[in-house]
Amino acid sequence: MEIKTDDYRVWIEGSDIFFDGVMRLASSEAGSPIMALAKSVLASNPSSITLNLKDLHFLNSSGINLLAKFTIEVRKHPDVRLVVRGTPDIPWQSKSLPNLKKLHPALVLLMN
Amino acid sequence: MTTLFGTPDIAIGMKESVSRLRLFDGPLDLSWRHCATTSDFIAELFASRFQSSRNDYMEVRHSIGYLVNELTENAVKFRAPGEIVIEASMDSDSFKLKVSNDVDGENAAQFQSLLADITVGDPADLLIQRIESNAANPDVGGSGLGLLTLMSDYGARLAWIFSSADESDRICLETYASIPISQTDN
Repeated sequence: MEIKTDDYRVWIEGSDIFFDGVMRLASSEAGSPIMALAKSVLASNPSSITLNLKDLHFLNSSGINLLAKFTIEVRKHPDVRLVVRGTPDIPWQSKSLPNLKKLHPALVLLMN
Repeated sequence: MTTLFGTPDIAIGMKESVSRLRLFDGPLDLSWRHCATTSDFIAELFASRFQSSRNDYMEVRHSIGYLVNELTENAVKFRAPGEIVIEASMDSDSFKLKVSNDVDGENAAQFQSLLADITVGDPADLLIQRIESNAANPDVGGSGLGLLTLMSDYGARLAWIFSSADESDRICLETYASIPISQTDN
């Protein structure tokens, strides 16, 4: 499964969700297809889900809110481990991804 | 009548040399795409002086771009028909931005009510509280997460001035922002 626009791409490999490009969502509704994609991974009852954001160069606040909402969804399933892979080379990731860990302390944030 | 929210001292005015961009509504058919191109342009314009250090350049370019993008998105989304004026300046330790546009009375009242909530307290705590309440009540819109992200994650100081000159429904909204710019390595 894949969501592709001129600016960004989101796709699934197993229980890994990959994000790539520049994502400026106009509203939380604009992120609904991405949320549906992520929830479909959660619905498959994996032991672990990885959000791979290493190639997501820009994400506006509507997009950050989408990641936060999905983190809260996964938090409702204590048996599912949530891993977020980012990179310190992309400034929004070092600034804003630690907030996800505040929402879900068991989340594993890998910044390398 | 004039109403102020946020940090008063950054709303006094931008004394330094200011670069000004005026986005006309009619001929441009202002839309979401303009936020990206405008913020990329301003970020590149102001960050280019940091190109001697790749880390500083990336950091400054991103922070300016993020700030301009969020505030221009708000202007495009909530404005009454009419132009958006973006003014920017930078000194040795901060980047300053002013975004001016008109809003109608209803949007102004809703926005003032939101600002009253998000300008009192620690932005980092408020951000997490708002995310939680947003997730619990998905129907609630206009949550201010973008503004709280700017304050919490980017160290932005923000102020808003609403002024209405006459009895019409149009209110002039000026949004002021200042973010720290630091050179980490040379």
